[in-house]
Amino acid sequence: MASTSQRPLSKLEALILSMIGLAGFFGIWLAASMSGYVPGQFLPTPFEVLARATHLVAAPFAGATLPMHLARSLERYAYGVALAASIGVPLGLAMGLYRWLDDIVTPVFDGLRFIAPIAWVPFAALWFGTGIGGPIMIIFSGAFPPCLMNAHRGARFVDQKYIEAAQMLGTSSLRTITEVLLPASLPSIIAGLRVGAGLGWQSLVGAELIVASAGVGYMIVQGQSNISTPTVMAGMLAIGLVGLLIDVALRQLEALVRRTRGLA
Amino acid sequence: MSAIVFENVYRYFTRDGKSFPALDGIDLSVADKEVVALVGPSGCGKTTCLRLAAGFEVPTKGRVTVGGQPVDGPGPDRAVVFQQFALFPWKSVEDNIAFGLRNQGVAASTRRERVSAVIKLMGLEGYETAYPHQLSGGMQQRVAIARAYVLDPEALLMDEPFGALDAQTRIMMQEELVRIARVNPRTVLFITHAVDEAVYLADRVAVMTRRPGRIKEILDVRKVRNAERWNHHERIEDVMDLESFVHLRTHIWRSLREEKIGVAP
Amino acid sequence: MTPSTSPGAHRSATLPARLTRRFLGTGSVLVLLAAWAGLTMVTDTISTSRFPSPLQFWQSTKQIVTVGYADGTLVGHALQSTRLVVLGFAVAAGIGVPLGVLMGWSRRAEALINPAFLVIRPIPPLAWIPLAILWLGLGDAAKIMVIFFAAFVPAVINTLSGIRAIEPPIIEAARMLGTGRWRLLSEVLLPAAAPMIFTGLRLALQAAWTTLVAAELVGALAGLGRVLNMAQQDIYPAMVMVGMAAVGVLGWATTRLLAEMERRAMPWLAH
Repeated sequence: MASTSQRPLSKLEALILSMIGLAGFFGIWLAASMSGYVPGQFLPTPFEVLARATHLVAAPFAGATLPMHLARSLERYAYGVALAASIGVPLGLAMGLYRWLDDIVTPVFDGLRFIAPIAWVPFAALWFGTGIGGPIMIIFSGAFPPCLMNAHRGARFVDQKYIEAAQMLGTSSLRTITEVLLPASLPSIIAGLRVGAGLGWQSLVGAELIVASAGVGYMIVQGQSNISTPTVMAGMLAIGLVGLLIDVALRQLEALVRRTRGLA
Repeated sequence: MSAIVFENVYRYFTRDGKSFPALDGIDLSVADKEVVALVGPSGCGKTTCLRLAAGFEVPTKGRVTVGGQPVDGPGPDRAVVFQQFALFPWKSVEDNIAFGLRNQGVAASTRRERVSAVIKLMGLEGYETAYPHQLSGGMQQRVAIARAYVLDPEALLMDEPFGALDAQTRIMMQEELVRIARVNPRTVLFITHAVDEAVYLADRVAVMTRRPGRIKEILDVRKVRNAERWNHHERIEDVMDLESFVHLRTHIWRSLREEKIGVAP
Repeated sequence: MTPSTSPGAHRSATLPARLTRRFLGTGSVLVLLAAWAGLTMVTDTISTSRFPSPLQFWQSTKQIVTVGYADGTLVGHALQSTRLVVLGFAVAAGIGVPLGVLMGWSRRAEALINPAFLVIRPIPPLAWIPLAILWLGLGDAAKIMVIFFAAFVPAVINTLSGIRAIEPPIIEAARMLGTGRWRLLSEVLLPAAAPMIFTGLRLALQAAWTTLVAAELVGALAGLGRVLNMAQQDIYPAMVMVGMAAVGVLGWATTRLLAEMERRAMPWLAH
């Protein structure tokens, strides 16, 4: 990657500056919360947040401990993403292969795409109440578009050379799909899964803010109602951390696939 | 007075904490209004030499002076023509050419005159408002050369100026450059892989050793050109057909081949 | 049926082929609409207490346009929501793009600022909502804060990438031509990074809408999210649908507007 006018920093310099930056961030936070400009209720110190987070790991709040809330969230999340992937990827591939299918599905998809996933929440609430169906539906609506679009793209824009090589070698249609197109589309599919998983996690949070009775989003809302800012912040950090881990894991998977392909 | 002088120039690169010599004692001078070509095997450091003169890099030892002044960063007195053109895609042809003059604070009316003069010189009439992407490679390089010429620089530094062009366009551009140099002679240092391009265009050709680079030998082409009256031939193919031309070219090839034998990893 | 994957395959050459594609496309939408009408109004397969019929949808639209719903007409709510999105987006872009330029240009600045960014970035924008409500209540300020955090991140990241992706010869040519600092920024860096910056802005706009609707759903006094929320509480699916349609239309419209601005800002691109 090109560096602009600055040459890349030495590892030492990068580390030192990062430490300064991190310290600065927490320092400003600490100073702001201790200065008294903001009531302590609204801006707890970093330590208070950490203490609260640790507390929540063992002691229940709003019905469950933090790990339990996370588990509930992850459960719905897993269902929603699995559903999105298992419908989106095959459908996307099929649309990439068969033009007529693309022509049928795309107008409908494009029409619905602009509706932010979160806008499905009221319907979800009407149909599923606070049951597990609601969040799953919203996670699905967030995770589905990238899965579909990337699988579609992967299949549609497969390098013509591969198809021609397969034809020249006298490959059957079925085998072309399974042994040429699918592997060739795999990097795109995995990228779509990664983006979909990320969007799904974000949609989950939104869903849980409104239509849930358990889960980490629900916990945050309860924290807000109880004016417990440390709880809210601890919850936010937990959500952020889990989301980060999911993203990192999927990036590793993506990198692995690319490496085995000699693409990276 | 020499326009460009390399005085005992060394350049080391560091990678993973180890130091690699790229240039190992370069002594070279380009006289005022002289055209010097720098050729050498891949990786010999010829691009580094050009970049030192341009001011994009700094020598580890020794110094580079242009017009008597030590080089201290890039500037319009040492105009560069890049292999990949490096035109600003968002500016029109005339805006690209005028840009350097604007930076120098040249008044608008003077600017317009100078820009149209150089547009005429480079055969770009009619393309003033076109964007680079609308032009062929040859035309884009003309714009790049125009952009450099209009600055009236102390030295013109060209990094494989025709390397990105197809073979036929390349030959046409070489002819062009000779024509322009007659009209508007300048101090030029250029790098090329094409030996016949070097012999055709240059007054002197400096051959470099493989890495770490040193000047292996310098051939005085101008003497031969004048003695054998190459300039009496209008067409490039007629010049390249001359025995004296072929002789020089073959000599340089052989010199380069010696450097490639026992090619470094 | 044989796969049609040639790159040119999506550029149908023949007129009959293109007409067939149009036909299929409109056909599927029409079929869906017909099914919608049929299943809800004619056969009662889908109970209209769960999913509105086209007629109900139309009636609710009329209602909210003329009489109003949730303390406002459709236009009023739409304006409120759009206003907040535009404000939040503008602030996010106004801070995010310059920050992205700084971080893209200077490795030092990036090393300093990145840690703070890394803490903020993984937090999903919607997760800021409870905090925003705690800090700023249910009014406009809280919404703008959340929109800001949502739109800010993609703006910075894409701008940073855009600056990093500038080919070194362009920068070297600019330096060779003696370009001063401000001119370098305005006439070289920004135009060069413009395509990626606009990608970031597009993502930022998307994020802004999503976050705004969510924030209004959680708690608001006006806006399309409020319409959705009230309709849900009133068990009024037809109005929910109207709200969703409005969100979709406005989202599409603002995206088109941005795309048009993008097109005009970069006349040199081969379209």
